[in-house]
Amino acid sequence: MRVWRNISELGAGLWTTLRQLGRTSTVSYPEEPLNLPPRWRGRPVLTRDPDGDERCVACQLCSAVCPTRCIELQAGERPDTRRYPLTFRINFSRCIFCGLCEEACPTLAIQLLDEFAFSKEHHADFIYEKEALLIDGTGKHPHYNFYRHSGVALQGKDKGEGINEKAPVNVRSNLP
Amino acid sequence: MKHVFFLDGQEIPFIPGQNVLEAAIAAGKDQQIPYFCFHPALGSLGACRQCAVKIYAHDSKHPPRITMACLLPASDALQLATLEDDVHTEHREIIELLMTNHPLDCPVCDEGGQCHLQDMTVQTGHSVRHYSGPKRTYRNQDLGPLVYQEMNRCITCYRCVRFYQDAAQGEDFGVFGSRNRVSFGRLEDGPLESPFSGNLVEVCPTGVFTDKVFRHDYVRVWDLQQGPSVCPHCAVGCNTTPGARLGTLRRIRNRIRPEINGHFLCDRGRYAFPYVTANSRPLQPRLMGETTRQDAVLRQLASRLEEGRSGFLGSPREDLQSNLGLFALADCLHAPFAAVTSSWAEALAQQCLALPQAPSLQEVAAADRIVVIGDLDSIAPMAGFAVRQALRQGAALTVLASSRTELAQKGDYRPLRPSALRDQVAQLADDPCLQGGRFPVLLATAETLGPSGLYALRKTLEKLPANARAGAFVNRPNLFGAAYFAADGHTERLQQALRQRKINHLLCLGADPLGEDWGAGTWRTLAPGLDGLTLLDMVDSETARSAETLIPVAAFPERAGLFVNYEGRIQAFSPVYRREAQVLHSAVHGSGFPEAAGGVKHPLGPPPPLFWLGRLAEMLHLHEAWQKRLDFYLHFLCPERPDPEGPGVLLPDTIRARFEIAAVPAARAVTPEQWELDIFRWYGGETLADMADELHSLAPARGLRVHPNVQAAAATLHGPCGELRLPVIACAEMVQGVIAIDQEGFAELGLYPGDPVEVSWEQRQ
Ligand code: SF4
Ligand code: SF4
Ligand code: SF4
Ligand code: SF4
Ligand code: FES
Repeated sequence: MRVWRNISELGAGLWTTLRQLGRTSTVSYPEEPLNLPPRWRGRPVLTRDPDGDERCVACQLCSAVCPTRCIELQAGERPDTRRYPLTFRINFSRCIFCGLCEEACPTLAIQLLDEFAFSKEHHADFIYEKEALLIDGTGKHPHYNFYRHSGVALQGKDKGEGINEKAPVNVRSNLP
Repeated sequence: MKHVFFLDGQEIPFIPGQNVLEAAIAAGKDQQIPYFCFHPALGSLGACRQCAVKIYAHDSKHPPRITMACLLPASDALQLATLEDDVHTEHREIIELLMTNHPLDCPVCDEGGQCHLQDMTVQTGHSVRHYSGPKRTYRNQDLGPLVYQEMNRCITCYRCVRFYQDAAQGEDFGVFGSRNRVSFGRLEDGPLESPFSGNLVEVCPTGVFTDKVFRHDYVRVWDLQQGPSVCPHCAVGCNTTPGARLGTLRRIRNRIRPEINGHFLCDRGRYAFPYVTANSRPLQPRLMGETTRQDAVLRQLASRLEEGRSGFLGSPREDLQSNLGLFALADCLHAPFAAVTSSWAEALAQQCLALPQAPSLQEVAAADRIVVIGDLDSIAPMAGFAVRQALRQGAALTVLASSRTELAQKGDYRPLRPSALRDQVAQLADDPCLQGGRFPVLLATAETLGPSGLYALRKTLEKLPANARAGAFVNRPNLFGAAYFAADGHTERLQQALRQRKINHLLCLGADPLGEDWGAGTWRTLAPGLDGLTLLDMVDSETARSAETLIPVAAFPERAGLFVNYEGRIQAFSPVYRREAQVLHSAVHGSGFPEAAGGVKHPLGPPPPLFWLGRLAEMLHLHEAWQKRLDFYLHFLCPERPDPEGPGVLLPDTIRARFEIAAVPAARAVTPEQWELDIFRWYGGETLADMADELHSLAPARGLRVHPNVQAAAATLHGPCGELRLPVIACAEMVQGVIAIDQEGFAELGLYPGDPVEVSWEQRQ
């Protein structure tokens, strides 16, 4: 009995193989383009909010969570006190496309898009500066703008003008 | 007997008088009890209702109940629980209530990463807000250049007002509004007036108050390099934690040291650090104004020293080892050495050191009779803070000063001309203001009182009860260390050697003899006899600009060293980060990434003075002798090396005793018709602190402060070394007949506090 079961299992395996005869699942990449799923994890980029301003607020959560410590940034401050990354660089010779930075990012700024195969002659060329990381679009999240939800005021957004906010309190009033 | 109570079955030791929360925090069990309004230095309030614990009665008649740990006095065998569902529910629900209106700010909030509210929220497990209605908002106030306000984030724990009004006794900050609209700030926009305003940043458990200076060059706390350091801006020697990143210093935080500064720092200590990043800071050696290489400068200097016509000048602004290193080098070369720039300052240092053991600030806060001489807040703000803590406990305060300072308004003020201080101090022993106390303390600003006044203070102390203590303060971190070398007549001998052309070169360490140091007027008249001046310093002072050779040195957070504070407490500080030779202020440009992150490798920044002195000794073939002397002196002064994390070690009493016989120069006689000088300082003013733009922007205008009955627009003062013309600033607080000027003014005139002065007034048009 045992022998027969082994033979039938071998046969099933062989049948699976035989079934593929004549089909092609190999893509002759890179001549043929790949059809990648939308949640594919390629290299991280920095995206912009729907108003076209950069999303990143230099909170350093991505650089803190990154297991290979390949993100390095320095916060800067605009005249209206809005935070932005003065410099932002990722060392792609260390990045493992794990996506933890994307998960940590509270503003949906850093996103893993579909570029994954890129080669360079020198290690140093893998260090991408902010200019090379910041794209012109919103990436996978077309609508989110962190500053509309946060409580801080900016140029063009006063206190109480954010989503789900009341008008500023009158602290001089003692009325019940 | 050891006292314990039980928290979830674990023994928690306590000291009688502590509350349960305090004891639990001290035992490291605060993970089990979240809290907001309690603060170790501000006490309990019971406002936030967060610190719930369940208390089990010893009998079966009373059911267990939930109560606030911060309001529950610890008592023996108390049975408490936190690991129960109803306690957890209470914790979670209270924090949810506190968070109802909390904005979605963490990514742009500077408190993030060091936020008590974040910690407590994570700890209690509140992660989803059930309230989905609109949130309350506030308009922020502009509170000046030091503290940033973002009022939306408040959880109304009242820590800020309790600090500002009760502990710091400031008057321009409070709570406004009613019910759920309360707001914490000033009546109007404007800079906070208290010298301790920066503590709001640390006291507030949320991001309402954050550090505005740090904000401009911000980095999350997890990326900061931090280490134990000591504040270099006055003789108190508060313990600090500098934080740096990418080779630049970003901020200073308090480091808890119960004996000295406790949980707080003054604004000078917190915000004066940008002298380290100032663009004017010398980073490369300069020879005749030209940037040079290290070895070229050293070679030039070594050949200079070989000539044997050099004098050496140390400084109370520099640390102990560097001064010792300079002293040892002078000793090897048999060259004249002085630790301070004038005979007056020398006598002052000796008299400070001759005072018996000064009280620690912790002890000052426990005093019940206090006499303050001069404007203490402007010299050593944290000493003024300790006096305020004593006042809260009901101490009686008497202030002897020539102007009605902020402290004077809180106690019994005796307006006195500086020249009258000495006599008044001499009579204090029989004065009613010190009678009947348990623990009398006298605190003097050394410069206002002068050497003869300090001598009188010591004599008065001998007549007071044995537990009476006195302390003298200056705004230099290491006067006591430098005082040790200030043997009689050293400064005079150095100046004499220069006058007689025995020396023609001066090697100065951290001193500013041609700028604002005491006696600068005399040095300026001697300067033509100098064939060259070499300065080792970290700031761009007057002397640095005119020095022939300028050797940059590491700033204090960049090196190890020892400071001796006003108590004679030797405290060690360690290097916190490595400075690079290029200024990497991100506001200027952000290319400061270290090599490992793909950045450029910058040459290292300036080494500490000991490195330079050691190299010089090597080039002069004196290294062994120099090292031996250095080790010997160091061992003599502090046989036991203090630990940077520890409370430091006190100078042995034998060292003080040597100074008790030091000569006291007689004070200059002043007649009542004469105008006399007093020193004017403000809490943020000090040589290094003046380089910090944000802090310095608060500095009061320069001028001659006189009583308003003087009808003049400006005046010229005439001193032995020069004249000084400044606008007159009428100041209702001043005593008549006294003119208060800054230290620079004294340096220009060649006079000292309490000296009479010739004035020519210029009438208003
Ligand atoms: S994908 Fe992973 S390794 Fe790459 S930058 Fe993000 S966190 Fe770092
Ligand atoms: S986590 Fe997002 S917002 Fe924060 S620094 Fe990284 S990219 Fe910028
Ligand atoms: S401002 Fe800060 S310290 Fe003051 S009540 Fe609000 S949360 Fe507490
Ligand atoms: S009191 Fe003196 S030592 Fe303390 S923080 Fe202020 S300046 Fe520094
Ligand atoms: S800490 Fe006990 S009620 Fe706030």
